[in-house]
Amino acid sequence: MTIEMYRIDDRLIHGQVVVGWGQPLDLQFIVLVDEEVAASDWEQELYRMGVPPEMEVHFESVASAATRLPGFQADPRPGLLLTGDINTMARLVEASGSIQSVTLGGIHHKPGRMQRLRYVFLTPSEEGELRALARGGVAVSAQDVPAARALTLDEVLGGEGNR
Amino acid sequence: MTESAATLPLGTRGAILLRMLAIQASWNYETLVGNGIGFCVEPALRRLPGGTGGVPYRAALARQSQYFNAHPYMAAVAVGALARAELDGVEPAKIERFRTALCGPLGSVGDRLVWAAWLPLCALGALLVFALGAGPVGTVLTFLISYNVGHLALRVWGINVGWREGLRVAHALGSPVLRQGPDWLARAGTLVAGVALPLVVQRLVGTGRAVLIEVLLAVLVGAFLVTRLHGRIEVWKWSLGVLVLFALYSVLR
Amino acid sequence: MNPVETGALSVLGAVLGLDVVSFPQAMLSRPLVAATLTGALMGAPERGLILGATLECFALETLPVGASRYPEWGSSAVVGGTLVALPDARGAGALLLAVMLTLAWAWVGGWSMVQLRRLNARWARTRHDAVSRGSRRTVVGLQLYGLTADLARGALMTAIGLTLFVPLVHIASDRWSSPDVVTRGVLMALAGIVAAAATHKLFHAISGTRWYMLAGLAIGAALLGVVQ
Repeated sequence: MTIEMYRIDDRLIHGQVVVGWGQPLDLQFIVLVDEEVAASDWEQELYRMGVPPEMEVHFESVASAATRLPGFQADPRPGLLLTGDINTMARLVEASGSIQSVTLGGIHHKPGRMQRLRYVFLTPSEEGELRALARGGVAVSAQDVPAARALTLDEVLGGEGNR
Repeated sequence: MTESAATLPLGTRGAILLRMLAIQASWNYETLVGNGIGFCVEPALRRLPGGTGGVPYRAALARQSQYFNAHPYMAAVAVGALARAELDGVEPAKIERFRTALCGPLGSVGDRLVWAAWLPLCALGALLVFALGAGPVGTVLTFLISYNVGHLALRVWGINVGWREGLRVAHALGSPVLRQGPDWLARAGTLVAGVALPLVVQRLVGTGRAVLIEVLLAVLVGAFLVTRLHGRIEVWKWSLGVLVLFALYSVLR
Repeated sequence: MNPVETGALSVLGAVLGLDVVSFPQAMLSRPLVAATLTGALMGAPERGLILGATLECFALETLPVGASRYPEWGSSAVVGGTLVALPDARGAGALLLAVMLTLAWAWVGGWSMVQLRRLNARWARTRHDAVSRGSRRTVVGLQLYGLTADLARGALMTAIGLTLFVPLVHIASDRWSSPDVVTRGVLMALAGIVAAAATHKLFHAISGTRWYMLAGLAIGAALLGVVQ
């Protein structure tokens, strides 16, 4: 399959995705799974402006993404799937049944969240969701940029914001 | 929105531009550039009914100082558009949604255009001028003037287009300069790099011309090998390691 | 190096360190600018330029996209520019040492910026309520705290760098045993590899750039013998 990464990042399409990962992975398309963006034309227009003209962006809800995922996975070009939060990714994992790894790329500060890595802040319930994903056989890791080492879920949950 | 009664006098635009230069001064891992957005949009908010003592001003400043993430130059578009939305009295929930949606695109457009294209092109251009024999003043001014003409033009354009378009600013981000610009600059950058690199190495090797061919061959082979790694390593760090080993050898031998 | 010189250079390092992120991001902090300027102020503009151009080759790989931490070139290049202008450190060994120490110090400078960002976060956290009330004083104050702390950071990085490295370069360049031609060869080969790899990483994904690179290299190679 050529979805190179299933990434959770609350900034959705931004420089780290388009340039940081886009260049080394030669990304040709992005699947953005977010219920609100999938229903909003002006937000889609904004996000489309954030990628190079030759890169495709597909805006999907969880339901439509689950249906279309086999097609994206069979696409020979390298692609990346993005969700803005853990819950959306967890629902997609369950609905599709074909996602084997998930990468935390950026979940930022909000009241109630505790800092785990420089770029990952989690509430207790979000930590529970990540553990549940891992128990279900999904490899959960954290890696913001290509040159950084991918950290395991245990390393993330044991972190206090120092990495 | 163009029929709006709100205006932004030149003095206020100037104050915003000046503040934009320090937009990242309080950058941190929790609110990122959020406080900076509040700081930059503040001169415009003073024009809200009731001025700096009014409830609208305080509510707007609080809203604008929350988490935000964007490229520091392209953030000017956000500052202009958010100032417009606030002064037009757009409902807060819509402003917040708009603010959130602006982050990613402004980040990636700025990263592609400035960090991944304009900056390296200007640096390579200055290195080429250096390689062709320019002295310290010529080399440094070539870089600083070319880079900052683009840099300041982008910030000024950002504030103005953001203010003019308000919530419809996505349309302005479709400008060919922003969409195709990075690719044009990248092609120019590659051409300049191709011309500059052998000549830069030649000038830097200097009196040791005896080894010029060997050095150029080493660069060709070395660069070919590390590009096979597809950006997964930072080559400069490995180079630093080699330099340390070579220095130890040269000093302790 | 006397305390007055160290102090004056630390002010320069503070200003150029501030430029990296906080104000005004006009790329005065690029090593090509910062090292050349420092070399010139120390009476060795040509050596400063050679150092600046060499470091710029390395800096091409460290543009602020796609890494989690970036070298801080502003204050470190002031340290490097000073080292390369030292009166008794004029050989290729001293140049290599200046490049090596600037790279290392830029990396430590990157770490110091991470600490500054943590400090900024702490300040922002304790003033969160005031910001939520729309306090202008707090919003402006947070920017000013950040600016001041970053200035202090750059000054400190420069002062410490100079204190540690000036004596080190004196000792090490005295004992340097590799011939100049080999030293320069090693240094410039590495600089060239990093610059070429960085160009590839930045531009290879864009269609047609391969041909632009080949055309450029052909012109560059043709000019090799012509440009002296």
